[in-house]
Amino acid sequence: MTDLPLTDRRTFLKATALAAATSLARGSVFAQPPAPPGGSQLPVLPNVTWNKAPCRFCGTGCHVMVGVKNDKVVAVTGDRQAEVNKGLLCVKGYHVGMVLYGADRLRTPLLRKNGELVPITWEEAIQTIAQRIHSAPQKFAFYGSGQWTIPEGYAANKLMKGGLSNNHIDPNARLCMSSAVTGYISTYGVDEPYNCYDDLDHCDVLLLWGNNFAEMHPVLFSRVVDRRLRGENVELIDLTTRHTRTSQQANHVLLMQPQSDLAIANCILHQLVERKAWDQEFVEKHCHFRGPGDPATLMGEPISFEQFCHSVSAYTIERTAEISGLSPQQLRMLGNLFADRKRKITSLWCMGMNQHTQGTAINNLVHAVHLFSGHFGKKGDGPQSLTGQPSACGTVREVGTLAHALPGDLRVDDEKGRQVAEQIWNLPAGRINPKPGYHTVLMWEKFCSPSATEGALDTLWVQVTNPGQSLPNLHKLFERKSELSGKFLIVSDVYPTATTALADLVLPSAMWVEKNGIFGNSERRTQQWFRMVSPPGEARDDCWQTIAVAHRLLEMGHPGMQDQDGRFLFHQEDEQGQSIPIWEWQHYYDVNVDERLYEEYRRFSTIKHKDLAPYDVLSQAHGLRWPVVKQPDGTWKETPYRFIEGSDPYVTPGTGVQFYHSVTKDDRALIWFRPYVAPPEIPDEAYPFWLDTGRVLEHWHTGTMTMRIPPLRRAMPSSYVEINAEDARRLGVQSGDRVKLETRRGELILPAWIDGRGRCPPGHLFVPFFDERLLINRLTLEAHCPFSKEPDYQKCAARVSKAMS
Amino acid sequence: MNSDFQNNMPVYTSPAKLGRSLTIWGAISVAIGVVGFMLGIAKPVTPHRASSRPLRPPLDQADLVPNYSEINAKSVGRNRNWNSNFETLKQNAPGLFDVVTRTAAMKEAALHDRLRTRAFDGAPPVIPHAIEQQSAANCLACHAQGLILGDRIATRISHPHYSSCTQCHVEAVAGLPTSANLAASSTVHMEPSMNTFAGILRAGPGLRAMPHAPPTIPHTLQLRTDCLSCHGLIARPGLRTTHPWLQNCVQCHVTTTDRDTVPYNTAPDTFPAASSERNSHSAPLSSRNSPEGLR
Repeated sequence: MTDLPLTDRRTFLKATALAAATSLARGSVFAQPPAPPGGSQLPVLPNVTWNKAPCRFCGTGCHVMVGVKNDKVVAVTGDRQAEVNKGLLCVKGYHVGMVLYGADRLRTPLLRKNGELVPITWEEAIQTIAQRIHSAPQKFAFYGSGQWTIPEGYAANKLMKGGLSNNHIDPNARLCMSSAVTGYISTYGVDEPYNCYDDLDHCDVLLLWGNNFAEMHPVLFSRVVDRRLRGENVELIDLTTRHTRTSQQANHVLLMQPQSDLAIANCILHQLVERKAWDQEFVEKHCHFRGPGDPATLMGEPISFEQFCHSVSAYTIERTAEISGLSPQQLRMLGNLFADRKRKITSLWCMGMNQHTQGTAINNLVHAVHLFSGHFGKKGDGPQSLTGQPSACGTVREVGTLAHALPGDLRVDDEKGRQVAEQIWNLPAGRINPKPGYHTVLMWEKFCSPSATEGALDTLWVQVTNPGQSLPNLHKLFERKSELSGKFLIVSDVYPTATTALADLVLPSAMWVEKNGIFGNSERRTQQWFRMVSPPGEARDDCWQTIAVAHRLLEMGHPGMQDQDGRFLFHQEDEQGQSIPIWEWQHYYDVNVDERLYEEYRRFSTIKHKDLAPYDVLSQAHGLRWPVVKQPDGTWKETPYRFIEGSDPYVTPGTGVQFYHSVTKDDRALIWFRPYVAPPEIPDEAYPFWLDTGRVLEHWHTGTMTMRIPPLRRAMPSSYVEINAEDARRLGVQSGDRVKLETRRGELILPAWIDGRGRCPPGHLFVPFFDERLLINRLTLEAHCPFSKEPDYQKCAARVSKAMS
Repeated sequence: MNSDFQNNMPVYTSPAKLGRSLTIWGAISVAIGVVGFMLGIAKPVTPHRASSRPLRPPLDQADLVPNYSEINAKSVGRNRNWNSNFETLKQNAPGLFDVVTRTAAMKEAALHDRLRTRAFDGAPPVIPHAIEQQSAANCLACHAQGLILGDRIATRISHPHYSSCTQCHVEAVAGLPTSANLAASSTVHMEPSMNTFAGILRAGPGLRAMPHAPPTIPHTLQLRTDCLSCHGLIARPGLRTTHPWLQNCVQCHVTTTDRDTVPYNTAPDTFPAASSERNSHSAPLSSRNSPEGLR
């Protein structure tokens, strides 16, 4: 790929900007910015009370201070005492208070009668759901979310696996970070990053693997690039398939072909072998080698060092250059980078690597590059995955709301894991079903199959997510539901969405600071907030909805709703031992149900040394990174770096680095070889373009919330297709023209935007997925990673033409 | 001169002279031909053109080029809404010791003007003009030092430590070219961005201990470490300080914090009784946030 001609201009602009900023700041303020900036005081606003909450949107986990007056949110400011964002927010965060006040908030339960959604009572709604489940418990599935609070996900998980003996519960996070999970588990034996955002303050080089960091995690991005204004030298390397706002700030933009990240990572490993530049001491002490096996499996099979070297030797610079489109110089630059142990390298990735039909493989390989080169375990020196949702880590990975999982990293197909869960939940032995349930793609396939087919699902309850817009290949996985009879879709949400459009029962939910909640962000940080304002109309907490249905099932006589002492699954009692009827809304807030469920769940957290802080400790902190361990003086201490001596209290002194949950049970991590595999769909004569989908700065995921925030919507009012200028010229398309985009699964007419927010190389297209009027996921491919089951939204074959209007 | 020239014209030409001049003319023609040929086969020099050059806008949206006679009165191009005529394009930043007049009406107008680009007091202002989509560095061309063009003011950045401008500031009106028939493809009912959020519109005003005492700073200094960004020479007239030559603002003006962070371990009083409104700006948000207002 040729260098982009704008490099010169970019350099010039950066120099200009820096010069301007320097001259402005000369003398007085060029040193360190005040910390926390502006002091920690809050604006003096009459009758406004302030309290903390994590931002509602992405996985960064910024803390905001929420100003409340007369039961309404009236102001939001960055939390200056929060370590994640140090008082800064992005444009979505500053306007997060407005998510509560879209005029079309759902206020009453709605049931579809004769094709129309008509208001009904909560009583009727709960009764309807309980009846549907009770009549066929095994044909029911729960589709949840990485935006569930921890107690919400925990309650749903317990209802399904502990109550209904039904493992058909899976979250939207399957579409978002399950490849990172399988990557961590198969490399370190246990899920979640060992490191944290502190790396961003210490790295010398930031390597982005297919991650438009500037628009997806803007607060973290500026945490890195603002270091340059303080005179620090941090090099940004952007490994990407299109030129983005991130590329604009990068020192090196490496434009690669889709899927070629596999070859590039292997090529780096090969170069380290070739010039004997790997970290022999670290590898000998802390690692084993592993290959995929034949056929390839998640855990693969052990290989020798020689086999490893032989395997990666196929990825010579020449061959990798051919596959990836990078120049040999660029590949050598990456090799040199990892061969140099003096510079600290932080690798970051998000959807580019996770939404990948080889998602597990590329995750394995990036960990391998860091482990093999010894760029691991020091501040600023290591690989870290980012998540897109505020509690993908907290509610999905830790609570285990996945079809195969139980809380605390236990698995349903492991007898010991089931026993532990049954014991904590006080259930009779054998209550938990040993067979993993349907993962997301399969779940929706089964829901969109005729009732009579084997294993079909008939009733599906969706909470806190919008699959009608976010699933891949929507015609097949969602919209086919409308052609089938006997299907019943229940949706708990806050606004009408593409999903409620096909729902049979819609439940209005309380959101964000309208309820108590706990999230867990990308860096193992658990964050708590209190309810601050009332929800609108009849809207109620999702957690209450789950518990109310469970209690109605109990009343109907479902045996699973009791523990082995005959008590309700969600039994709560007051100090006098009296049962509190939390299933009745007027009594739900008699007790802090969040605190009760969290304290129960916390017992799971110690199993794999992911110890969570007690609720009252958490409620006083701006989030704490687990394991949070009690100190001799009675205080609780968080752990910024796991597995590293001096930071992690569970590491045996003297070991330095100890992977104490390793796959091989000998405290060693695995250095993987995984081969390059061609993508499932490659542009051909009929469909000659690559189609990539993703996000933009202003909108978060399906836009349900951000499209109702006027400043955000005005800034980015509709979706578009980004097309290369040369391709556009050839097709006679100009910016703003309507173009028809087609894949083998569907078609869509969108406006073209040439050299707008990003620049695609020739033959590539990019479409954001936030616009519910322009459902790009009707076109995307549902092919997924064989291990993580995460679909690839980042690449499929498409064709494009000027639309006749 | 003309007549001299005519007088010097030869009246006839002899055959010998004709032959010689033909030879000369022939030689010149061949020379020109050879030089032209050589130039022609040399590598043609084409102007370097970045592939990112924007495409021509569709014909129906293209601006007509104005006559020279109209050029002062007509404005064209992306910034045509900036009233960019030559009169007002002059930089007219006031001098340090110029007398500052500031009336209550001017202050009110300035505060109101601030709110046109803010969803609530404390929200980052939206950008009231088109921007370069990919690079935030362009912002500092005007906002590093501040700029006054006629009645347009580009205030200088109040937080120079931060370089990622578009992280917080987005366009008031999208730079994205939208398609006219987009709404027709709508499958799901969604009202155009109605939102009933009514935020705090103004912090303050600052308090004075006695008449003529310096007022306190009613807002936090987070992201507003440079007071002169809003109160200096290049600022909205109603907000300007009357004494810009005094550089150490916090010598006399102090921040007031009558409320600090609440203790986190207590659930807040969720439903406090309604209390009386002290803020003067109570215009409904919808009227302030109309797209026209943002222009």
